[in-house]
Amino acid sequence: MTSATLELPPVGETILTLESVSKSYGSVQAARNVNLAIPRGCIYGFLGPNGAGKTTTIRIIMKIILADEGSIRLAGRPLDGGMRDRIGYLPEERGLYRKMKCLDQLAYLAELKGVPRKEARTRADHWLTRMGLEEWRDRKVDSLSKGMQQKIQFAATFISEPDLVILDEVFSGLDPLNIELLREMILEERDKGTTILFSTHMLAEAEKICDSICLIEGGEIILDGTMDRVRAAFPLQSVRVAWEGNPEPPADLPGVLHREKSEGSWRLTLAEGINPRDMLPELMAFGPLTLFSANRPSLGEIFLEAVARHRKGGRS
Amino acid sequence: MSKILTVIRKEYLERVRSKSFLIGTLLGPAIMSMFILVPVLIADKGGDDARTVGVVDPSGLYFESLDEAVADNGDDNVQLVLMGGTGTTEEALTDMKQAILAEKINSGVLIAPDFIDSKKATFYSKSVSAMVLRDEVLRPALNRVLREDRFAEAQVPDTLFAYLAASTVWSSIAVTPEGGEEEQDEEVGFIMAIALIMVIYMMVLMYGSHTLTAVIEEKSSRMVEVLLASVSPGDLMLGKVMGIGLAGLTQFTIWSAALFLISQQGVSVGGVSLDTAFLTPVILINFIVFFLLGFFLYATLYAGIGAMCNTVQDSQQFNFPLLMGLVVPMMLLSLILRSPDSTLAVVLSLFPLFSPVIMFMRVCVETPPFWQIGLSWLLMLGSIWLAARAAGKLFRMGILMYGAAPTWATLLKVLRN
Repeated sequence: MTSATLELPPVGETILTLESVSKSYGSVQAARNVNLAIPRGCIYGFLGPNGAGKTTTIRIIMKIILADEGSIRLAGRPLDGGMRDRIGYLPEERGLYRKMKCLDQLAYLAELKGVPRKEARTRADHWLTRMGLEEWRDRKVDSLSKGMQQKIQFAATFISEPDLVILDEVFSGLDPLNIELLREMILEERDKGTTILFSTHMLAEAEKICDSICLIEGGEIILDGTMDRVRAAFPLQSVRVAWEGNPEPPADLPGVLHREKSEGSWRLTLAEGINPRDMLPELMAFGPLTLFSANRPSLGEIFLEAVARHRKGGRS
Repeated sequence: MSKILTVIRKEYLERVRSKSFLIGTLLGPAIMSMFILVPVLIADKGGDDARTVGVVDPSGLYFESLDEAVADNGDDNVQLVLMGGTGTTEEALTDMKQAILAEKINSGVLIAPDFIDSKKATFYSKSVSAMVLRDEVLRPALNRVLREDRFAEAQVPDTLFAYLAASTVWSSIAVTPEGGEEEQDEEVGFIMAIALIMVIYMMVLMYGSHTLTAVIEEKSSRMVEVLLASVSPGDLMLGKVMGIGLAGLTQFTIWSAALFLISQQGVSVGGVSLDTAFLTPVILINFIVFFLLGFFLYATLYAGIGAMCNTVQDSQQFNFPLLMGLVVPMMLLSLILRSPDSTLAVVLSLFPLFSPVIMFMRVCVETPPFWQIGLSWLLMLGSIWLAARAAGKLFRMGILMYGAAPTWATLLKVLRN
């Protein structure tokens, strides 16, 4: 192994640290004073809408672009080019060499991460089998379906057995069956001690898989912590209601922060401290209820609330 | 370093194993020899169709000797026909004009009855292009007829005539720097020089633009970000250029070896035999050096441009000046050949983008002073260094730029950054 082997911290301790990382393109600030501490062996959700600065931050970690300021440490050491071999990266804009055979492709990408050539070919074989693509070993990539190509890309990210893996919008464009397969694999890798930085704008997806999250908006981190801590900080509740005759509840209903119509019912996000039960009489005033249920807030709702609080000033 | 080697290996094998490489290696020499041999063969065979010239010879004294003179001159494809026969001169002239209009004959000539004194001949033709025929075939032949007849009239003895009509016999000696001299076959030397220059020109152009398409393909297939997570842009570019360059060198070596072997067999085509005597060590070394330097210079420039562009179409506006760097010297070829050591030729041959063709051409035809060859190597190395730096910058900045096609302004902005 030519690349550096790192002395990893125990699971749960910080493996990747970003300190005051900033980057701007002209007048646009893509990353603003980003501080992150990602614990080893977890799936860390890196969340935010499109254009929030996720990809910029990731590219800075990968040293594809240089930060204007700030420092990055992996396992306590300043990140350098050689240590980058310990990080697997699956970019959102990902491709493959169309004219290259599957095995050669995987082996080449492993070699570029410092895996010796022979070993790279053995591992490529192993991963093709694991992905159920062993029959496609000597076929060119352009004869593969899109789903198969995505599996190859996924395998290429893990083939170097990295300590940290960065997945940028990994599930986009995948069918549910493959999403399930990859989710299983991500969990499996996590259980082996691999740290996963899971970047996505689809909060519902992140909610199902992440152990910890941070929310980024306008290049700035506005919320971070374990899922449990985040939920505790936002004891928001929401109710789902529907009335006979489908009347529309007023926008300024007291105690309701946000309303959203979906699938023939209304989802109302309640203000902090409001008990769903207390809302019941008021809601019944609009007509006979056909549906009433109280829910935990979704990540999406937490995100909206966090943005609102952040704009009011002060970080939660 | 090991990563550059990995990239080199991949780029090299990908090319050498491809079908197009095999086909190119086999067909390349065929195509190139067509470029070189077809003009030779055409020149040899005269190229044009047989031409018929109608002759009106009122005195009846000159037709036969003219016909003989034309035949002696080796102009097999020019045929003379006597017009009119027993009719009057006017009738013969009318016949001739009609034949020209009907395209039965190509042109006509009227030899004055008192030609030996008046020296007058009149040329008739439909198109201006027949002038070549008049100047290159008829004029010398008629001059000879005139000379012979005047000698005969002056009663000069045949032996004296033969003595007077002698023409110079030339042989050419190339003076070598060592002070020696060697006999050279100019035609072979010239053809070999053109062949080698064509090889350099085509290889640099072909493999240079390979680099461009390879970079653009990596970008458009969105492969590049995956790669940049493992390799630095500079290493990626270097690996690519070197891998492709090695593939080119492989093809180049195969061709050179083939050329060498063939020329040792003493093959002759179109009356011109290939001769290894031309491939002196100086020429061979320069051949390889100018190919390599030329390739690296153009390939790094192409790689930088490729990094800025998303499609091959985007790159065309930048491609043009580079293409000119190779095409202009080819157009200047005959100018340089005429006076290879003129100030203009020296200056042009030192200009790095032109050096691979022009300096190498000068090496082939006259062996310029070694300081000039050395200087052009140094200038090219310097330019490669500058080009690599600029291309590295363009690579780093441009490789993740998608969207609008770049302009010269964005290009300069990135370089100045």
